[in-house]
Amino acid sequence: MSLSENSNSSSTTKSEFEDNLNVLRQTYFFSGLPLETLKIFAYLCTREKFKDGEYIFQQNEDDGQAFYVLQGKARLERRDNGETAELRECKSGDFIGSLALLGDRPRLFSLKALTDTTCLVLNREKFTKTMEQFPALFPKLIKAVVQRIDTWEERFLMHRPDQCGECMVNLGVSLL
Amino acid sequence: MAKAETPIVKRSLFSWIFAGNVHLQVTLLLIIAVMVLARVVPLEMQKRIVNEAIKLRNINLLLVYCGIFLGSVVFFSALKYATTIIQTIIAQRATAGMRKALYHHILTLPLNFFRKTQPGTVVNALVTELTIPGNFVGMSVASPVTNILTLLAFGGYLFWLNPLLAAVSLSIYPIVLFLVPILQKGVNRANKRRVDTARTLSSRIAESITGIHEIHGNGAYRIENRKYDTLVDRLLKIRIIWSLFRFGVKSVNNFFTGLGPFLVFILGGYLTIKGRLELGALVAFLSAQEKLYDPWKELIEFYQVYQDGKVNYTRTMQFFDVAPEHEIEPKDREAFELGGSLEVSDLSFVTDSGIHLLDGVNLSLKPGEHLALVGFSGSGKSTLALCIGQLYKYTGGSVLIGDKEVSGLTKKDIINNLGIVSQNPFIFDGSIEENLLYSCKAKVDGNGQKKNDGMPTLDDIIAVLHQTGIFVDVLRFGLNAVLEHGQNEELVDMIVRVRKNFQRDFGGKLADYVEFFDENKYLYYSSVAENLTFGAPNKSEFSEENLSKNAYFLKFLDTADLTRPLLSLGANLGRQTVDILGNLPPETIFFEQSPIAADELDDYKTIADQLKNKKLHELAEDDRHRLLELALRFTPSIHKMVALPDFLETLILEGRALFREQISAEDPDAFTFYQMTEYIYSESILNNIFFGHTTSAGPQGEERINQSIIALLIGEDLLEAIIEIGLHYEVGNKGDRLSGGQQQKLAVARIFLKAPRILIMDEATSALDNKSQTRIQNLIETRWKKKKTVISVAHRLDTIKNYDKVAVMKAGRILELGAYEELMARKGALYELVGK
Repeated sequence: MSLSENSNSSSTTKSEFEDNLNVLRQTYFFSGLPLETLKIFAYLCTREKFKDGEYIFQQNEDDGQAFYVLQGKARLERRDNGETAELRECKSGDFIGSLALLGDRPRLFSLKALTDTTCLVLNREKFTKTMEQFPALFPKLIKAVVQRIDTWEERFLMHRPDQCGECMVNLGVSLL
Repeated sequence: MAKAETPIVKRSLFSWIFAGNVHLQVTLLLIIAVMVLARVVPLEMQKRIVNEAIKLRNINLLLVYCGIFLGSVVFFSALKYATTIIQTIIAQRATAGMRKALYHHILTLPLNFFRKTQPGTVVNALVTELTIPGNFVGMSVASPVTNILTLLAFGGYLFWLNPLLAAVSLSIYPIVLFLVPILQKGVNRANKRRVDTARTLSSRIAESITGIHEIHGNGAYRIENRKYDTLVDRLLKIRIIWSLFRFGVKSVNNFFTGLGPFLVFILGGYLTIKGRLELGALVAFLSAQEKLYDPWKELIEFYQVYQDGKVNYTRTMQFFDVAPEHEIEPKDREAFELGGSLEVSDLSFVTDSGIHLLDGVNLSLKPGEHLALVGFSGSGKSTLALCIGQLYKYTGGSVLIGDKEVSGLTKKDIINNLGIVSQNPFIFDGSIEENLLYSCKAKVDGNGQKKNDGMPTLDDIIAVLHQTGIFVDVLRFGLNAVLEHGQNEELVDMIVRVRKNFQRDFGGKLADYVEFFDENKYLYYSSVAENLTFGAPNKSEFSEENLSKNAYFLKFLDTADLTRPLLSLGANLGRQTVDILGNLPPETIFFEQSPIAADELDDYKTIADQLKNKKLHELAEDDRHRLLELALRFTPSIHKMVALPDFLETLILEGRALFREQISAEDPDAFTFYQMTEYIYSESILNNIFFGHTTSAGPQGEERINQSIIALLIGEDLLEAIIEIGLHYEVGNKGDRLSGGQQQKLAVARIFLKAPRILIMDEATSALDNKSQTRIQNLIETRWKKKKTVISVAHRLDTIKNYDKVAVMKAGRILELGAYEELMARKGALYELVGK
């Protein structure tokens, strides 16, 4: 892919910044923030390209980034005792890693690109520095995250429990 | 310095007067003696001119006396100037001496002292408070001697002229002598409070600047302002009182000395009218008496400087009058070569407030054994490590390194044998190399060796860079360096030659990560200016910052139909950027993707405001230039807030050809155009090798570029040269141009380079990624096992399995001590901590 295509893919003069802004407004995490703050995040985001087979993030590393898949496909994996379990796939439009912006923990999973993949990336440092300017917005973010975790588990409980078997005893992450 | 010296904080202010200045002070005294004589001569001449020359109407005599008068005035002035010079030298030398000695003393003070003392206090003491004491030292001999001698000389002359008149006119001085010290007491009281308040104020400022993140984070501007303002107001009051008292002294003095002529006129006039005093004598008497004021005034001033200097000096010295905990260097022996064993018995460390940070700790290590200290934060593991490293002075029990008690060793003994990588390593302003050699230099310094003895070679340095995983970073710094004309000419030639091989061997592989300079393509990783000129300027008027003001270039833009579209691009950029960044603080993280620098933001805000109700052509010329400047900086790949319109891209490409044609004909030396055979001095080494710009690649892309470039550099035998350039990279204030990981790697590297017999790692790898952490861990386990004693405060439990011993700490005590497997089998504290 040549660069000109990337930077100016459309012949209309819509900037990458505007595209980013539209993307962020669609994520659960950012959508509740006022435009002023969103603009800063849209400006600070970068686009990164990963080749087929490259890792977007790796288990046990604390990369401190959140990703929005703009293009391509990637797979979540979990390595245990040398064996790799393939979990689910992420496709364009998926948003992953908001918790990595909030706290510093090593990843429990890896994300591997299955095709050439382009992501919108925001890292913790940029996130934190920006939020320092808007401390009053933090409760909004926390609410969004709590709601997300709750919805997640609720959906799991509605559709999956029969397949889960013994792991049922460990359910209840939303009770944390 | 081997001989026992009084520490500066115990020295009296007077001890500075002759210290190192004996010959200057003696010279000064000699000059003064002559000077005082030269000062009386004009008076006598004055009398003789009136009484002899004028009375006898003798022109010759008049000329002779006037000549002598003039000569003595010139001579006096020359001498006065000489004394001022010598006094200034003495004063400045004393201030410098005090500053140095106090700083040297402060650096040796225990860490504890600095927990209670803000940096601002130290800065204020060293920079401000020692000036007046220094001035006092400068004046200390010259001023009293000159002025007292002058007073005596004039006083004597007055008595010689007329004893009665003299006695009456001098009678005012005892009154002054009585009043001034009373007022001075008030001055001193206020000055003492001023010194203390100034100190508090300095530390207040230092504190808020250090905590600026918290202030911004909480928006606590008002709180901080209030705290600061209260202090400033207090200082204001104290300073007013201080000044009023000072002026009080001056006024009292002026008033009483002002009464002098009054007495002389009334009594002298009477005597002259009665014919008991010659008119000439009265004139001489009046001017002699007037001459008393200056020395008297100077004497009073000197007295004030002395009092202020004494207060400042003692207040400052008292504050720092703390003894260092350990001798810096051994006095009558070489520094010890310590054994590698460690014996800690019944060790305790109690703070001033009675908290037991360590309590009855026992452990022993054989030379070459590795110990891991684990436990929750606050368990005392760091404190134990720091006690062993002599950074904390333990309050009970004993620590033996080899067979020597740590508390009895000098700092030199410790640093020659032991290395500490601390939790929050400090990186000093300077180059990577300076920081790498910091520990080695400190060790070699004062070991009595020659300068380069015991200093590591470049090979040693490169080995350590590899070991600590900072090699690639340093290589990067080297590759990102921009060389100057005439610098590293050999390297420049090599790089130009290497380009072809690079494009042949790696060009395809890296095509995605590099935008090659191509005359016929728009460069998205370059600025508009670069895209237009497609070359590196050789003349400063064509440099990127001057281009928007360059008449030739502006005319060219007009010819190429570019002015208007660029202005509108600039306006668009300015508006968008101001809209996004308008209210953000000037931090790098917000401005590195912005075409407007933090300090320009306000200017562009004003312009953006105007654009709301003005058309582009209605703007002032200056503002239009600013917008043009912005447009010329525009680099699509970095400044994402606007897009480059297609038509403008085409227009710029056409402009490029036109510009080249024009300038080649009219000013052929102005630019070196980008071509494969020329080094581009405006670009980094890496971009020169690529003959293009690296594009913003993710970590993997970076890795690929690194691999290719390292392979290339090794193949061409350029690696060392680039690393050497990288070592000269300036790390910035507190190392802020390095990432946290890089700082920590650098801190580990500088201790590895020193390769001490005993190594203390206090969570030394906590900021590193897994790979670097494992690399350093492996190195310690393979290379250092059985050779160097290692004490490691561990922040992660997966790194400690291969240590010889593990100590689990809690509340200042060791709960368990033994090999990892043994402790795990015991299912005690470690087992619980690991949580398996």
